Amino acid sequence: MSAETVLEVRNITRRFGGLYAVDNVSFEVQRGEIFGLIGPNGAGKTTLFNVITGMTPPTHGELFYEGKNITNKRPHEIAKLGVGRTFQNIRLFGTLTALENVMIARHIHTKSSVMAGVLGLPPAPQEERAVRQRAMQLLELVGLADAAETQARNFSYGDQRRLEIARALALEPKLLLLDEPAAGMNQNEKGVLSGFIRSVREQFDLTIVLIEHHVPLVMGLCDRIAVLNFGQLIALGAPEAVQNDPAVIEAYLGD
Amino acid sequence: MEGFLSTYGAAIVQMALAGVLALSLYLPLMAGQLSLASPGFYAVGGYVAALLSTQVFTGYPNGAYPIPLIALEMVVAGAISALFALIIGIPSLRLRGIYLALATIAFVEVLRVFALNQPWLGGAVGIYNIPQPFFSATRVEYLVLALPLLVGAALFVARLERSRIGRAFVALREDELAASAVGIRPTYYKVLAFTLGAILAGMAGALNAHILNTWNARQGTFDLAILILAYVLVGGSRTFLGPIIGGAFLVALPEIILREVAGTPGLNPAIAAFLRDGRLILFGVLIAVSVFFFPYGLITPNLFKRRRKPPVAPLEATKATPKVSRGEL
Ligand SMILES: Nc1ncnc2c1ncn2[C@@H]1O[C@H](COP(=O)(O)OP(=O)(O)OP(=O)(O)O)[C@@H](O)[C@H]1O
Ligand SMILES: [Mg+2]
Repeated sequence: MSAETVLEVRNITRRFGGLYAVDNVSFEVQRGEIFGLIGPNGAGKTTLFNVITGMTPPTHGELFYEGKNITNKRPHEIAKLGVGRTFQNIRLFGTLTALENVMIARHIHTKSSVMAGVLGLPPAPQEERAVRQRAMQLLELVGLADAAETQARNFSYGDQRRLEIARALALEPKLLLLDEPAAGMNQNEKGVLSGFIRSVREQFDLTIVLIEHHVPLVMGLCDRIAVLNFGQLIALGAPEAVQNDPAVIEAYLGD
Repeated sequence: MEGFLSTYGAAIVQMALAGVLALSLYLPLMAGQLSLASPGFYAVGGYVAALLSTQVFTGYPNGAYPIPLIALEMVVAGAISALFALIIGIPSLRLRGIYLALATIAFVEVLRVFALNQPWLGGAVGIYNIPQPFFSATRVEYLVLALPLLVGAALFVARLERSRIGRAFVALREDELAASAVGIRPTYYKVLAFTLGAILAGMAGALNAHILNTWNARQGTFDLAILILAYVLVGGSRTFLGPIIGGAFLVALPEIILREVAGTPGLNPAIAAFLRDGRLILFGVLIAVSVFFFPYGLITPNLFKRRRKPPVAPLEATKATPKVSRGEL
């Protein structure tokens, strides 16, 4: 494992009954990479994200984040270490406003107690102001600043995805996992998103792992790509190499 | 005025206490936890005050019991309730939904049976002759304590809702998994919300022990849990004002029916009897109706917001986005 390895997935298996959703998968993600995770429907991509973020315990295998074993850590602990994520089936705090959604994600960067918050004692007022300001900046970044007071559930599909990214960024993650961020977006929006993902990587010094079905987007955006099929890792490498890999072509075109 | 207070004085004090009890259920509900344990903590608080005032702070003639001592008892009752809440909350708040509700009902029931069988708690008779600070038929003087308790509790919850911790509660209510994905520790905040609620219930119990003059295992039972739930569901579960108004309304309603309507001369005796005894039935119907027509209760946060159109029209696809539980994700 090189010093620049941010995430190491080591022999991870996740079984659901007799089904191997993720089957003995190993790979490493390097700092600053945009790492693509692709594969046909049901290949185990989302399950792998859930395992990495502590939401689904692995059946076998180990996970290392920045050299630390995080295999049995709880989701909130993994988030605290700097792993942010979005969800394929968008999970916003629906009845809360866009602003509140993002403010909530500043939780680990604030520390006011119950009493400080209720009585308005330091550091609560200062924190509150800073959190609001930071959340507004992030909404601006994803182009939702003028809808800050709108309930999250009233946004369009694409805007909800953007809001989820803003919320994930509010955590100040070092590793960001995006589960199909372009789903539900049109061609134009997908192009914009691609540029956006690249620019947040620069701006926030991020390492990004991205699940995406849309092949041109993945090929254009990712530094390396891992391909899952029936839970197994069948290819790993640069986009051109993966694209021409017979096993990958077989998985996508075969029966 | 004199007549009004002698008729409704006690009810006005109970309206304030109902608001406090409703807030005690509202707090865990803010964090998405349906707990029916409030009557248990209320019972504990009452026994704490009853024991302290009859066995520790003795020597005050009835009618001259110092008000500051009652305030002190309320603080002690709150602290002891908090301790109970931690002990039962840490294991039971891992349960979800209806299982948590059942576990908290079991707690209330266990406490009741325990109290019934403890000689030092007075057994079935309970603890009586709890000293009062006033010679009063109406008990309306107790507002001196009940009102500050209600206002304090209301301000506390109102401020909490706008703070970091309150937002963490609400995030858990909205989507526990998404909350944990931004670093919110679910069990910690659920136990915290539950404990804050327990403190309020304990304090209300302590005060009511003095008001009622006696405390026994019939205080703080499952019936009360349903009443408190009605306060919150009818009043509103999305802003602190809902439970307070719900509590006041549902305490006042039967009093008014009882005294103004059921006593109307010439009223069919069967109807009058129903109005007198059918309170729980009436509440059941009210819960059902309000849950059906007003899922967030009568008082909702939107009532206080300036109306504005969402800048983006909601898409069908958005509305249909399914919420999946952790297992399905
Ligand atoms: N909680 C669960 N219980 C049982 N089976 C599950 C569970 N979660 C996922 N699976 C199964 O595991 C397999 C992998 O699912 P997963 O959602 O990880 O695939 P995916 O690669 O993300 O697919 P898609 O591209 O459709 O999102 C599927 O067969 C799915 O039905
Ligand atoms: Mg998926």
